[in-house]
Amino acid sequence: MNEDQDKLIAELVEKGLAGDMEPINEIEDRVLRSKAKAALVKAKRSAKPQETEDHVKKVSDKSSIDDKSLSENLNENIGEMVNEKFPGSLVNENTETHIQLAPDHWFEIAGWLKSEPSLSFDSLQCQTGIDIGENTLEARYNLHSMKHNHCTEIRISVSINKPVIPSVEQIWRIADWFERETYDMLGIEFSDHRDLRRILLPDDWEGWPLRKDYQVQETYHGIEVPKMKEGWE
Amino acid sequence: MGILEHRFQDNVIVEKLDKLLSWSRSTSPWFFQFGTACCAIEMMAAAASRHDLMRIGMIPRSSPRQADVMIVAGTVTMKMALRVKKLYEQMADPKYVVAMGSCATSGGPYWQHGYHVLKGVDIVIPVDVYVPGCPPRPEALIEGLLKLQEQILNERPLTRKMA
Repeated sequence: MNEDQDKLIAELVEKGLAGDMEPINEIEDRVLRSKAKAALVKAKRSAKPQETEDHVKKVSDKSSIDDKSLSENLNENIGEMVNEKFPGSLVNENTETHIQLAPDHWFEIAGWLKSEPSLSFDSLQCQTGIDIGENTLEARYNLHSMKHNHCTEIRISVSINKPVIPSVEQIWRIADWFERETYDMLGIEFSDHRDLRRILLPDDWEGWPLRKDYQVQETYHGIEVPKMKEGWE
Repeated sequence: MGILEHRFQDNVIVEKLDKLLSWSRSTSPWFFQFGTACCAIEMMAAAASRHDLMRIGMIPRSSPRQADVMIVAGTVTMKMALRVKKLYEQMADPKYVVAMGSCATSGGPYWQHGYHVLKGVDIVIPVDVYVPGCPPRPEALIEGLLKLQEQILNERPLTRKMA
């Protein structure tokens, strides 16, 4: 008797899950009907979480793939667009992590990066310089777009013998002091900068302290500038 | 109509003018309010209500012309050294200098690699009291200032120095 009942309930639950509630409601035995309904609720509850989990998983997978492809493609897209718009200014075809540019048309490219609607890099987050050795100085620009929330890095290498890069101070006003600091520490000249002076060191300081071949000057206004102390480490 | 009037019998205190002068100087050495780095925060704490430098007669003054003591609080860079020297020269005699913290006494953490840091402010101006610490606690600064007051108290400004 019990086995028959179980079989019957299982059949009813299957039909109920499929959306057909009539066979359950038609049962005349109240006990059997309530048992069948309880089993149906239980079956639905156990089925539900799995379903939602799957759903969430699918959604997150999708978004992560989208984000990844966007950020991966961004630098390449910019590289292609720059190559199209300003041929010859892309120094390195590999744009995986950054975009390496020649200094010649940097002012025009910067203006375009800011005004192009699909990029709209409206914020220069950081500008700094590095002496990467082999008589090469490099200026780096970290750009961010408030509108699209994407960012990229521009690098411009120049020879240590003629370190001139066009200034972008008139495009991003924040670049004013950034470029003054880079000039102060590495001696990279930013042409067409409206106020290119040293910013941290005194105006009459000699040399560029962050260059690898920097020699500390011996005296400053009669004050002896001490050499590096020996035997302290 | 002072509050002391008629409360004491007429009295005469006999003392050397020399000693009176140095006593009055030592009890109110106004200091020059000027900080170059993080030590200035401790100097502010020392001047604020908890440690209250006014107890020992020290009031911050914003002009070198009105100050007797210069507390050099913090790292002095080469660029600043010229300014510190100029400010010291603008102070009126008698003037005293307290080098506060390890940067002002010896260059501190920039002793070895700081190419633009002055290794001790005593290279450009004469220092009376050195207060060690990085930065020193307000108590340490107050002890240094009490030492300075002791030094001023023992001075005899009117006595001709015997060669």
